[in-house]
Amino acid sequence: MKRDTEIAEEAAGWIDRLNQPAFDAAAGPEFDAWMAASPRHRETFADLQAVWESETLAHALRQPEALVVMPSLRSHVRFPRLRYVVPGLAAACAALAAVLILPSVTTTAYRTGVGGGRTVVLADGSRVDLSGDSELRVQILPWARAAELVRGEAFFDVRHENARTFEVASGTTQVRVLGTASNVDRQSPTRTAVVVYRGAVDVAVAGEHDLVLRKGDAAHVVDGHIAAQPRTAETAPAWKSGWFEASNVPLGVLIDKVQRYSTRPIVVRDRALLTLPISGRFRISDTARALQAVQVAYGVTISWGRRVIAIRPTDASRRR
Amino acid sequence: MPAPLPHIEDIAGATPEADWRTVASTLSRYVRARTSRADLVEDVVRETLSRLVQQSRVQKLVSVYALGFRIAASLLVDHHRRDSRYVAEREEEPASQAPLPDRVLAGRQELALLQAALAMMPPLRRDVLVRRRLQGQSCAAIARELGLSPKAVEKHITRGLADLHKAMRGDGFARGAAQ
Repeated sequence: MKRDTEIAEEAAGWIDRLNQPAFDAAAGPEFDAWMAASPRHRETFADLQAVWESETLAHALRQPEALVVMPSLRSHVRFPRLRYVVPGLAAACAALAAVLILPSVTTTAYRTGVGGGRTVVLADGSRVDLSGDSELRVQILPWARAAELVRGEAFFDVRHENARTFEVASGTTQVRVLGTASNVDRQSPTRTAVVVYRGAVDVAVAGEHDLVLRKGDAAHVVDGHIAAQPRTAETAPAWKSGWFEASNVPLGVLIDKVQRYSTRPIVVRDRALLTLPISGRFRISDTARALQAVQVAYGVTISWGRRVIAIRPTDASRRR
Repeated sequence: MPAPLPHIEDIAGATPEADWRTVASTLSRYVRARTSRADLVEDVVRETLSRLVQQSRVQKLVSVYALGFRIAASLLVDHHRRDSRYVAEREEEPASQAPLPDRVLAGRQELALLQAALAMMPPLRRDVLVRRRLQGQSCAAIARELGLSPKAVEKHITRGLADLHKAMRGDGFARGAAQ
């Protein structure tokens, strides 16, 4: 008879495996067989899954002492090889590594170059409009639809399905789409903006802080916190016609957007400028116009080099 | 509590390898642990089962249990969302630091047990759990960033989870010493 610990570790292995972005279809029957094998398997898995997903665990993990790991500790706690091997799981993780490193058959990547947008229709009938210099990875599985916005901005017109939600990840932000039209803008790894034009979405950060957005709602996720934004009456995001509406957005975010359309690199010479809050409507598809608007409104100096466009504070004393 | 099983007769034989009654009782154990609202359990399990049955008619399910747990989890989120809608309704307000209902009601004791179990773990294991659960990082990314092998990452996750499970069952944290 198996020890409790052994069963718990097998169950934990399955939980981890089921949570992988690329769950191998062949593992499905294997998992069902493991669950069917014994009531203790089923009970342990159900209990562990509940613990793993619970808010209480997230809360406990968020305690400061649990967040720091000293690099020097690594060598001390490395496990002897093959000591606690959970059968099957090792193979799963190795396979996952392969999936992430090698081009995968199950994930489709869509990329756009500078200045170019693109519309794609996914296997489930949903439509995605990608902005310039963006990358989206999509996985449509029998039980889940998932997309990851690796870079840039995308407008989703998702086909509603009851059993399969459509989830978009952007950094630590997860947007759960419930059959709707919505825009997801990955402004930086820790900053994502979401606007809903039809239907509703559920926004979460690392599985926490749910917020439901309905038609016309907008929200920013910045460094793990969700903040509601002014509502919009538009029916499609401004970027689709080459515009960007900024309301108290760091200059760095605007520059990234202008960069999506400019073949010349735009360089900001002063780090402090990147966080300068700006507001207004900018024509990002027209590099010169957008940057001139910034120059006039925010007192920066722009030099239009042949290779590089440079932005620096106008005030000479700050330049040094 | 026996879970209600609609249409069980209709589908007998449709998915011979799945014993729906067993699936239902497993799911209700999970749902009971996830929510503090006893009145939800029956609804969620019944709805999950009926969706599973529907799906299994349309196509061969890759895994009855995997899909079942996913549907149940997403129904729980739906219910919580319905509960928190009033909060979201108040617009312009800096939104949703508000905890989900199950977090408010989950006993402090549970939290204390988990915290104690986490405190007993090697810091590296805790870090791996934080990255996997809170930050949603993949095994491979964690391995890369912490300079571990993918196998070591799995071991931290499985042993960490097993420790948490043990703590929740109240049989102490003597595990490290026993090894």
